[in-house]
Amino acid sequence: MSLIDSLSLALGQIASWDVLIAILIGTAYGTLVGALPGMGTVVALVVALPFTYSMGTPAAIALLLCIYCSSVYGGSITAILINTPGTPQSAATVLDGYPMAKAGKADLALGWATFASAFGGVFSLLVLIVAAPQLARLSVYFGPVETFALILFALTCIAWVSSGSTVKGLLAGAIGLFLASVGPDTMTGLSRFGFGVDALAGGLSLISVLIGLFALSEAFIRAAYYREGKPPDIAGVGFRLPPWGDIRLRWRILLQSSAIGTAIGVLPGTGATAATFVSYAEARRTSPRRENFGKGEPDGVIAAEASNNAVTGGALVPTLALGIPGDGGTVVLLGALLIQGLVPGVQLFQNNPEIMIGAFIVILIANVLMVGFGALGAQGFRRIMGVPEPLLMGSVVLMSVVGAFAVRGNPIDVVVAVVAGIFGVIMRLAGVPVAPIVIGMALGKTLEQSLRQGLMLNEGSFLAFFGQPIAVVIFLITLFFIAAPVYTALRKRHQG
Amino acid sequence: MKLKRAMGIAAAAVLLGGGAAQAEYPERSIGMMIPFSAGGGTDVPGRFFAAEMEKILGTDIVVSNVTGAGGTIGATQLSQARADGYKLGFMPVGTTTTQPHLRRTSYNGDSWAPICLVAQGPQYVTVLEDSPVKTVDDLIAKAKSGKLVTGGPPPGSLPHIAQAAVANAYGVKFTYIPHEGINEVAKSMLGGRVDMAVWFGDAKARFGLRPLAILDSKRSAEFPDVPTLAELGQPVESFVWFGFFAPKGTPDAVVSTLSDACEKAVNSASFRGNMEKAKRQVRYMPRDEFAAFFARQYEQNGSLLKEAGLVK
Repeated sequence: MSLIDSLSLALGQIASWDVLIAILIGTAYGTLVGALPGMGTVVALVVALPFTYSMGTPAAIALLLCIYCSSVYGGSITAILINTPGTPQSAATVLDGYPMAKAGKADLALGWATFASAFGGVFSLLVLIVAAPQLARLSVYFGPVETFALILFALTCIAWVSSGSTVKGLLAGAIGLFLASVGPDTMTGLSRFGFGVDALAGGLSLISVLIGLFALSEAFIRAAYYREGKPPDIAGVGFRLPPWGDIRLRWRILLQSSAIGTAIGVLPGTGATAATFVSYAEARRTSPRRENFGKGEPDGVIAAEASNNAVTGGALVPTLALGIPGDGGTVVLLGALLIQGLVPGVQLFQNNPEIMIGAFIVILIANVLMVGFGALGAQGFRRIMGVPEPLLMGSVVLMSVVGAFAVRGNPIDVVVAVVAGIFGVIMRLAGVPVAPIVIGMALGKTLEQSLRQGLMLNEGSFLAFFGQPIAVVIFLITLFFIAAPVYTALRKRHQG
Repeated sequence: MKLKRAMGIAAAAVLLGGGAAQAEYPERSIGMMIPFSAGGGTDVPGRFFAAEMEKILGTDIVVSNVTGAGGTIGATQLSQARADGYKLGFMPVGTTTTQPHLRRTSYNGDSWAPICLVAQGPQYVTVLEDSPVKTVDDLIAKAKSGKLVTGGPPPGSLPHIAQAAVANAYGVKFTYIPHEGINEVAKSMLGGRVDMAVWFGDAKARFGLRPLAILDSKRSAEFPDVPTLAELGQPVESFVWFGFFAPKGTPDAVVSTLSDACEKAVNSASFRGNMEKAKRQVRYMPRDEFAAFFARQYEQNGSLLKEAGLVK
C-alpha cells in the first residue's frame, strides 16, 4: 500500500460520524477530567476503556488518543484558577499560573496555557510523524547509565523551582526522594518501609501525595483563613488568547519547552511531570524575563504547558514504533489496541499504516479542538468560580478524595492524601516549597533503579559510568548547572 | 386492625418471596478485580473474559484494577471481601502462587474458592532476532565463557524463576537484571544490554524476539520448529496461567454456576478469536480440576523459590 493509499484510507475512516463524535467527546471529556483534581490521564483513559469494546477500531483509537492529549491540557485549568493542579503534569503550571490569576489575569493565563499546550502537542506530533522510527531506535540505546545521568540532571531543577530558600527546596526534594522509596523494591522484589501494613506494600501513589500537597492543603489553608475574612476573589476569569506580538516575543521559550518535552517523552522512564519541571527550570535560567518567575510570568506557564503536551507525542514514539509504552497513559492505549485485535509493536507499522496515519490526524484535530474547548469552557469556568467558595472547595475536597482512591483502588491512598494535606499546610506555613516533593517522588524510583541496574551491568563499578559518552556529556552539563550560579554568586560577593 | 395485620402478612409474604427470588444467582452486577493495571498483560485477557461472562450470566460485570506489589494488594482485598459471589478476581499464577511465599501476605493457598482456569501458555527462552546466539547450546556456551545477561520483572516473578531453573539445569550462572515491568525488559533487549529473556507467546509478534526453546512438554502450533527444552535434555517447564477465583467461603452452588459459565465463555468463538489475535493461549479447567491444579502449583512454585534461594 502506498502512502497516498494509506492516507486516503485513513481520511475515509476518520470522516465518519462515529469517529468524529468520538473525537469531540474524547477531547471534551479529557479536558474536563484533566481539570478535576485527582483524576489524572490514566484514570480518564481507564474509565473510557470499556466503552471502546463495542466501537469500531478507528473510533476507539480516536476516543482514547483525544482523551490522552486533552487530559494533559485540562490539568492546567484548575492549576491556574484554584492553585490545584488537575494532574501531576500540571504541578509546575501552578508556580506562575496561579499568581497570574491572583493578579486578575486569569483569562490571559488560561489563554497562554491553552496556546502553549496546543503548540507543544502539534510540535511533538510533527516530530512523531517525521522521525518516529529513528528516534525509537535511538531511545532503546538509552540505557540505565544514561538514564541515571539524565535523572540526576533533572534533579538540579529543584533549585530553580524553589523560590525563596534553596535549602528548603532541597530539603523538600529529599523528602520526595524518600517517599519514592516506600513500597516494592524492583531490584529485590521485596517491600520497604511498609511497617507491616499490607496496603503499603505497593508504595505511595504520586497522585495521592500530589492531591494532598496541593488540593487538600489549599482547601485547609483557605478554610483557616476564612475565619478572618473572605480570601481574595480570582478576577478576570475568562479566556483571552495572547496577542500575536507577545507570542512572537516568547517564541523561543515555546520552541525550547516543546523540544524538552518531546525529548523527555521519547526516553521512557522519566515522565511528563519531570519534563515540566526541567522545562520550567530551563526557561527560568534562560528567559530574559527571569526576574518575574514565580510572580505570574507567562513564560513560566508556557514552559510547563508546552512541555507537558509535547510529552504526549514523544511518549507515542516508542509506543507506536516499538510497542513499548512511554508512560502510564500509553500503557492503556496499547491495551486498547490489543483489545481491538491489533498487536502493537514492530509489525503494526508495516501491516496497518492507515492506523498510524489516522492516529496522527486525530491528534492534530484534538490539539486544535482543545483551543476551541478552552475558549468555550471559559464561560463555564466563570460560573464555577462564582460558586460560593465553601461549596467550591468542598467539591474539590470530595473529588480529590475520590480521585485518590480511583487511581489504584487502594483505600490507603485516601489516608495518604489526607496526611499529605496536613503536611502540606505545615510546609506552606513554614515557607517550604511543595513542588520539589513532587519532583523527588516522580524521579526517585527511576534514579535508584537506573543506578542499581547500571552497577549490575558494570560489575559494581561506578567508574564505568564515565566510559559512556552520552552519560559523560550529561554529567558535565549537570556539573555546569550546579557550578555556574555558585561561581557567579561568589564573584559578586568578591567584587562587592 | 385486622386489615393492618392482613397487610402485614401480605408484606411479609412479598418479602419472603423476594428472598426466595434472591437465591437465583446472579441477581445484580458482579465485581471482577484484576490486580494489575488497565491495558497490561493480565488486564487484556481479563477484560476479554469479563465480556463473555457478562453475556452468559446476563448481568453486568464491573472490572476494577487494584494494582501494586505484584498484584498482592488486589489479592489481599479480594481475600478479605464478603464471600457472596459478587466479588471475584481474575488473577495470574504469580500473584496467587509465588507472592505468598515471597512476602508475608495475609492470604495464602487456602484463601480461595478456585472457580476455573481460563488461560495457560508456555514460556519461551528468547533472544534478539539478529543475536549471534542461535541455539540453546550457543546460549550455554556464552554463559560458560563469560557473562550472559538476562532480564525480567522483579525477583520472584515467573520469568525470573524460569531462568533460574534453566541455569540450574545446565549448571551455569546468568546475570539477572531486574526491571520494573516487561516493557522495560523489551527496551533493554532491543538496546542490546540484555542477551536473553524468558517470555510468553507474544514475544515475537510484539518485539520481534526469536524463541530458542519452549519450556513445555510439547512443541507449540505457533512455533513448530522451536524445540522443547526437554528434547534438548533438560525437562524445564514453565507456564503463565490465569485463573478465576472467589474468596474462600463463597457458596458452593455459586461457584458451580460460575464454573459452568466459565466453560461456555472460554470455549466461545469470540473469546478464542480475541485471545488468538492477542497471541495468547486459552485453557479451561472446571472447578475441582482447577482446585487440584492450583494446590499443586502452589506447592511446586514454593519449592522452586526455595531452590532458587529466594525463600528460606
